Amino acid sequence: MASLTIKNAVKRYGNVEVLKGVSIDLQDGEFLVLLGASGCGKSTLLNMIAGLETLTEGDIMIGDRIINDVHPKDRDIAMVFQSYALYPNMTVGKNIAFGLEMRGVPKAERDKAVQEVAKMLQMDHLLDRKPAQLSGGQRQRVAMGRALVRRPKVFLFDEPLSNLDAKLRLEMRTEIKRLHKRLNATMVYVTHDQIEALTLADRIAILKGGEVQQLASPAEIYDAPVNMFVAGLVGSPPMNFVTATVQRTDRGIGAEVRMLANGADQVVLLDLTGNAADLSQHIGREIVIGLRPEMITQVGQTANSKAQTVTSDIDVTEATGADTLCVLTWNDKEVMARVSSGYAQVLEGTMDFAVDMTRACLFDPATEMRIA
Amino acid sequence: MSDTTTFKPAQNKSTLPARLLLWLILGVFAIWFLLPAYVVVGTSLKGLEEIRGGSLLSLPHELNFWAWRHAWSEACIGVKCTGLEPYFWNSVAIALPSVALSTFLGALTGYSLTKWQFPGANLVFALILFGCFVPFQVVILPMAQTLGIIGITNTVYGLILVHTVYGLAFTTLFFRNYYVTIPDELVRAATIDGAGFFTIFRRIILPLSPPIIVVSVIWQFTQIWNDFLFGASFTTGGAQPIMVAMNNLVNTTTGVKQYNVDMAAALITAAPTILVYIVAGRYFVRGLTAGSVKG
Repeated sequence: MASLTIKNAVKRYGNVEVLKGVSIDLQDGEFLVLLGASGCGKSTLLNMIAGLETLTEGDIMIGDRIINDVHPKDRDIAMVFQSYALYPNMTVGKNIAFGLEMRGVPKAERDKAVQEVAKMLQMDHLLDRKPAQLSGGQRQRVAMGRALVRRPKVFLFDEPLSNLDAKLRLEMRTEIKRLHKRLNATMVYVTHDQIEALTLADRIAILKGGEVQQLASPAEIYDAPVNMFVAGLVGSPPMNFVTATVQRTDRGIGAEVRMLANGADQVVLLDLTGNAADLSQHIGREIVIGLRPEMITQVGQTANSKAQTVTSDIDVTEATGADTLCVLTWNDKEVMARVSSGYAQVLEGTMDFAVDMTRACLFDPATEMRIA
Repeated sequence: MSDTTTFKPAQNKSTLPARLLLWLILGVFAIWFLLPAYVVVGTSLKGLEEIRGGSLLSLPHELNFWAWRHAWSEACIGVKCTGLEPYFWNSVAIALPSVALSTFLGALTGYSLTKWQFPGANLVFALILFGCFVPFQVVILPMAQTLGIIGITNTVYGLILVHTVYGLAFTTLFFRNYYVTIPDELVRAATIDGAGFFTIFRRIILPLSPPIIVVSVIWQFTQIWNDFLFGASFTTGGAQPIMVAMNNLVNTTTGVKQYNVDMAAALITAAPTILVYIVAGRYFVRGLTAGSVKG
């Protein structure tokens, strides 16, 4: 086990800069998720850690050893690929043992290690089968076994769950989490699925256009996104953005939002006084208020007693089982509210919502950066 | 859309005559195409008397293998009356190593062009591909000079070299297009597992290659066995391949034209390629179309 340090990593293909100076510091045993849309450079970064791509500039270190020019096999890493990349001509047992065989581990020792890993992943009965005879989930297990058997310092995962169906994906996600707890190994995991990122990671690095937007714990990413991109990427349904003008009111500072109540126009003053930031310099200027759907809910639901009550007409409701999503229109923009499904019967027409403005994120509309 | 019924063309009774007509036409064409083969086989089994007296299409009165024996071991080719036998073994000695070498080198080239992409790999492939379109007549003179310099003119080795070199364009094309369909992640996984260029080739890529190896072997064997131009250009006398020898056998006329011997010689010459097609033909079609479905 070891720490992993990426220092100002740059990757250029000709004139195209795919990674623009990425720096990430990973503790021993930490689980890092690289999250981003396709083309953001997350897979390139992973391949650079693996040694499958070279760095244009910068350093990558495992422990205190710089591995920029070290061959992949000498980096003491293992990788699980999206397509699993099992060797079709070899049995499961041989697939798992291949890496050990290449390192000259004697046969008896190899067999023992394979047995151990197979037992750990509950696939001892599959060892003599060929990959083509396995189901998707079993192939995934073999791919993990192949990585586990060498006991590497760093595990790399390249979207390992995206080829599985929804149910299996949940199972394997838990399995990976359990594995990480058990091995306490350093892991880097690439995905475009924000739920996977939130559930698995100790820390998430969100990439866009080859730059790290935010590197923080899942809770911090969720509660305090640094900019509107991060806020919109993480969370489902995504954060609502309402543009409004900051005003001084008799109670402090607020922002006016237009909406319908019982079919009639009304202007609601959302109270920003409880917000952490000093907004006095923004008075008279527009800001973007970011509200997660669960911050707009039925009265009495939020723990925060200071929540503001707002009456608003509902356009549409969408039941999701545990919760029902209500689509509202505030300042001509769609806003999602999340209420308990027990309220589903009364969700036609007009309803009172509790809006927890103290947790709202405020963004500068020009720079899209968070003010507070 | 579970309630939509599957579309079935209406079974119309009036199509029966049309169907019979179709079978008739197909039958006539089948006979038309098989007729020459029948004449060749039939004639080779007849005696000379019978050929002169009877009709071209009549069945042999009795199975007479004299012409086959004569073509194999007695017929005169030029001034030597050895039959086709030594030339048959010449062809075997040329074809087997050339097929093996060109297939192996094509596999290796295709593997490096697809799985170890280097700058300009596609240009190199385009240039190799160009070799498929160069008419062989164009290269005869420079090739003759090259063989002369190396000192293997008029030998089996010379023809092995020529066929290996000119087969490479095709075998590389086959293997390159096949290996493009093998996911690169396999090679990456093996690299991380610690395997090098040749280990990955031997342990992972080659075991996945039998379909395309069959294609390459059939293609190359047919090309090399059937080659007349290089054989006639670069060899004389005892080193000639069977294709050239058969031509000379037919052209060596002393007195009466022995049609039955000519036909038997043609069949002996064609036998190995026919055998290869019968044994591996279905793999050939399968391998040729492999990878063309999912792109």
